[in-house]
Amino acid sequence: MKRIGVLMAATLVTVAATAGAQQAPATLVVPQTGEPRTLSPNFASDPHAFGPGSNVYSHLVAMDWGIVKGTAAYGDLAKSWETSADTKIITFKLHENAKFHDGKPVTAHDVKFTYDTIIRKKYPSLAVLKSVKEIRVPDDHTLVIELVEPEVGFVPMLAQISNWTAKIYPKHLWEGQDGFETGPHVNAPIGSGPFKFVRWERGQPVELEANADYFRPRTAVDRLVYRAVPDVNVARAEFDAGRLQFLPYDYAPPLAEVAALQRDPRVKVVFTPSHFSRDMQLNLARPPLDNPLVRQAIAHSIDRDAMNRLAFAGLWTPSAYASIESQKDWINRDAKFPAFDRARAEQLLDQAGLPRREGGWRFAITVAPPNFVDCKSMMEVAVQQMRAVGINARLEQFDQATWFSRVSQKNFDINCYFTRYGPDPDAYREHFATGGGRNFMSYQDKELDEIALKASMISDKAERQKIYKRIQEIVVRDIPYINLMNEQKTTIIRAGWSGFNVEESGFDTSYTWFGYYSVKPPGRS
Amino acid sequence: MRLRRYVLLRILQLVPVTLVVIVLNFLLIHLAPGDISIILAGETPDPAYLQHVREMYGLDRPFLEQLWRYLVQVGSGDLGMSFRSRQPVFDEIIDRIPATLLLVGTAMGLSVVVGTWIGARIARRPGSAVDSLVSAGAVMLFSVPVFWFGLMLILLFSVQVPILPAMGMSSLDGPREGIGRVLDVAHHLVLPVLSLMTVSVGQYIRIARTSVAEVMGESYITTVRAIGFPDRRIVQHYALRNALLPVVTVLGLQLGLILTGAVLTETVFSWPGLGRLIYEAILARDTPVIMGAFIAMSVTVAIASLATDLVYAALDPRVTL
Repeated sequence: MKRIGVLMAATLVTVAATAGAQQAPATLVVPQTGEPRTLSPNFASDPHAFGPGSNVYSHLVAMDWGIVKGTAAYGDLAKSWETSADTKIITFKLHENAKFHDGKPVTAHDVKFTYDTIIRKKYPSLAVLKSVKEIRVPDDHTLVIELVEPEVGFVPMLAQISNWTAKIYPKHLWEGQDGFETGPHVNAPIGSGPFKFVRWERGQPVELEANADYFRPRTAVDRLVYRAVPDVNVARAEFDAGRLQFLPYDYAPPLAEVAALQRDPRVKVVFTPSHFSRDMQLNLARPPLDNPLVRQAIAHSIDRDAMNRLAFAGLWTPSAYASIESQKDWINRDAKFPAFDRARAEQLLDQAGLPRREGGWRFAITVAPPNFVDCKSMMEVAVQQMRAVGINARLEQFDQATWFSRVSQKNFDINCYFTRYGPDPDAYREHFATGGGRNFMSYQDKELDEIALKASMISDKAERQKIYKRIQEIVVRDIPYINLMNEQKTTIIRAGWSGFNVEESGFDTSYTWFGYYSVKPPGRS
Repeated sequence: MRLRRYVLLRILQLVPVTLVVIVLNFLLIHLAPGDISIILAGETPDPAYLQHVREMYGLDRPFLEQLWRYLVQVGSGDLGMSFRSRQPVFDEIIDRIPATLLLVGTAMGLSVVVGTWIGARIARRPGSAVDSLVSAGAVMLFSVPVFWFGLMLILLFSVQVPILPAMGMSSLDGPREGIGRVLDVAHHLVLPVLSLMTVSVGQYIRIARTSVAEVMGESYITTVRAIGFPDRRIVQHYALRNALLPVVTVLGLQLGLILTGAVLTETVFSWPGLGRLIYEAILARDTPVIMGAFIAMSVTVAIASLATDLVYAALDPRVTL
């Protein structure tokens, strides 16, 4: 009897010791500048829902910041895919053990249901899915997408748009709804991603927890919480006090402070490049910007190094190419925008019939940057640099919504923009082809239109490279825009934490730009 | 009977006031540049989707028709659906009211009591060193921008000496019910209330001081003094009641802003109240929510001014309704 008692006591001690050795749950609190509108990411573009949506839901294919190292798209639910010779038919093989958070398996039917609904309801990812002619499901784990026309960039574009929308919804829970904006799962999402939804009351944080049944190894973070912190300074104070583990780039500290942060051993400063640039768009429909000499002169008037020093404490990378460093395979290093040369700029403006008049001004022009800190500080410098050659440039400020609709209506002289060069270089068409969705400059070039269309339909890489290099030559010749800097994001992370989507240890395993699958808290690997 | 008629009349006046508020604000929102449907649809949307969004929200209709539809809808007691969350606007606003009432109400109540008390005390010795010091301090507090003061409080009590929380209304792992919940919320309430109070408390100190000092010069006070009542008793029993009228006026004005007066404070402290809802709605051009909030505001302003008049009549027998 006594023996049993001793044995029991020993067991109890062991149990208690094991329990004590268990680590406290690792919680990652992500601050956001606002709260989500809903937790159904597919029906509208809702920036504060990208985070929760990307971690609760899976995607067919994904893309994360690994794009800057060259990974254009990788499989999330898709294990692999094959493209037919004419690039019109893509066959995806899906992971067989993926499950929704309610235990039901994820099949190709769910993917087809999601994409078909998006197309039928004209939701935002239609921008990419409009290329789809038909989606077929030969068996539960095979999905065939047939395109209307050959389109080499389809999978990378699908991966890119999956960052924001096109998350895979469970068919069995959404079938009864007309779209993705009604029903019980709009704000109580059931996905198949690395985190499960726990709780969200409006005005309170969104709480997620690690999904133990994820089809990949469970995340090292036990709990993921999205908290609305509208004030940038408060978020920074919370970070300094150690209550936030990292500050996303929306809360980037002023670059002038970065040197001090880099000296602090408790803080890790991460710079992440991207496949976007920061540049100036010139409205070709407005005189005197319709004159190529004037556009050349403006390009000559810009001193990118001074701009970098003044606007970014010298921490960004100026670029005079019509491409970006992260697009290594496609950049044409022989095609450059006119270099800084004030005398040449003045000379060209004289030639254009715009001599300095009374007061020393040649003509007046407005510069309207969007409400981004980087664009604003760059354009403040650009305005001064243009004034130095006799262009009476003036800064105009609008709120983001007004700026955006003015740009869409082509109601601007000069505009600071964020030209995209990837994931597939077919992006040039969106910006520079006649009628392209982001061709706010009213730029037209027949040769560019023809060869860009051709390049979007061929799969031979060498031939495509040749075409895209030619396109860059045409763009720097005509100067509908002037590239200035490679975009760069600044994130600060508490020492000991790693694997964030913005740093190399998180590339290609974050499952979207907003995914935290590979984050490792201190002491866990 | 006369009082009841008066109140009824004042409530009826609400209808034309609200109508004017709606029409003016509807016009103002539409005058603001920028296409709401583009904002709703996200950047560079598909033209077909954009059209779909316009139709869905009735944004493709002419302005007057949109206004008329809205008026009819509000007339039937429906504030519509939020563009952003697709939830009824009424629910969105009601959900946020308790948090705001708690924050602004606490701050306002404390400001009135503390401010009037301090003001009345220093009024007993006008021109003394304490009076000058407190009066100068009050002007300073009144002039401090509330968001800046909030940030300073956070730096002091949340970062340097981390004893008070700076974000939200409750702790992530705090108790969800019972006395623990109350204490948790109270803990979160300290800093935002303090920063809201700094602005208004100075105002009440100044007003209470001036009006008490004025009343103290009246001949009836001289009489009670001559009888030999102690100063404290004179202020509390004879001077304060008459001196309270200007305080009530200011309180009435501020009461009208009780729902929306804390936009900056709520933003700094991530407080889930109506102010932050309005702030986010304005950024997103969520017209139905903005309009709903304006209606709620005009109703509270009207009710507050009615309440002020009633209190006035009770305090001052010379005022009749």
